Amino acid sequence: MMLYAIPVLSQLESVMRHVLNWFHSNLGLTWAWSIVATTVVVRMILVPLTIRQIHSMQSLQKHAPQMKEIQKKYKHDRQKQNEELMKFYRENKINPAASCLPMLLQLPVFIALYYTLKHFATNFHVAAHADLSFLHFIPSISDGTTAHWGGYVLLFVYVASQMASSFFMMTTTDKTQRTLFMIMPLVFVFIIARFPAGLVLYWVTTNLWTVGQGLITRRLVSKTPAPLLERRSSRTPPKDDGSSGNGARSEPPPPKPAPSASQQQPRQVRRKKKRTSRR
Amino acid sequence: MSALTRLPGLLGIGLVWLYRVTFGALFPTTCKYHPSCSEYAVQALRKHGLVRGSLLAGWRLLRCNPWSHGGFDPVR
Repeated sequence: MMLYAIPVLSQLESVMRHVLNWFHSNLGLTWAWSIVATTVVVRMILVPLTIRQIHSMQSLQKHAPQMKEIQKKYKHDRQKQNEELMKFYRENKINPAASCLPMLLQLPVFIALYYTLKHFATNFHVAAHADLSFLHFIPSISDGTTAHWGGYVLLFVYVASQMASSFFMMTTTDKTQRTLFMIMPLVFVFIIARFPAGLVLYWVTTNLWTVGQGLITRRLVSKTPAPLLERRSSRTPPKDDGSSGNGARSEPPPPKPAPSASQQQPRQVRRKKKRTSRR
Repeated sequence: MSALTRLPGLLGIGLVWLYRVTFGALFPTTCKYHPSCSEYAVQALRKHGLVRGSLLAGWRLLRCNPWSHGGFDPVR
């Protein structure tokens, strides 16, 4: 494959090979279980990020009513809706749970495993006689998933676990998007069926981890106190709570107009300097 | 930019789309930034070409971590 010519990929593969080898020869795991162990270790490394996510989810939950309001207000303008939500996050110091980097960190692991499994027979000279089976229903993890009936079982588990993990990881409340994510595994299974069974095994493991994590997270999140109803945001005008002293108000405050554009410009990330385009 | 100098950038945009339909489709995440990282990458590549666009997109990905606060962050 052309991509394999990139030196980083072969290094990734070599690292993965060593990790799998370590689990196999030092802990006496079969190759299939070594993959499971590697996956678990990778996810364990990512746990600090998850803890961080739990905190984010808690604060998101606290502000859910206001966010729903914003979504309702800009129902027909997705772009505007997103911008307003982002603005709301910043104003209330909410850290959205989803971020791209942890996702992306899993990509190299996946690629490394793909190539390792692809070159399994040549990489491990002993592998030709080694036990590549998994739980008696997958004869070889380096073969294509659909090579044996057991692969179809694995694919079924994959779809189920992917759906479950999507369910737990979803941060969006948008209905179409939610449905899309639930249907995605059904589309994806056709692509995944061509991958080595070991890769599907990795995917199933990481999904199951996500589900377990999701269950724990949910329990933790639901334990947080009920949301404060009167939390101020830029969209709710400040309430006169009698702090002015005399308590008697001469007239009700005029309804606050929508914040003007100049005041409410979305805060942008600060940059060191502004450079003009070279071309 | 002439069509020829834009070509490498288009290649990069193609790669972003490849990511979107494959790996990106697997994980239900909505980015904490607006526009999202991949959208940002496409815009940066379009505006600044392959080299600078990739650097900008890479820096954005690094910023999109659990310790950042996200928000509205368009390509300049």
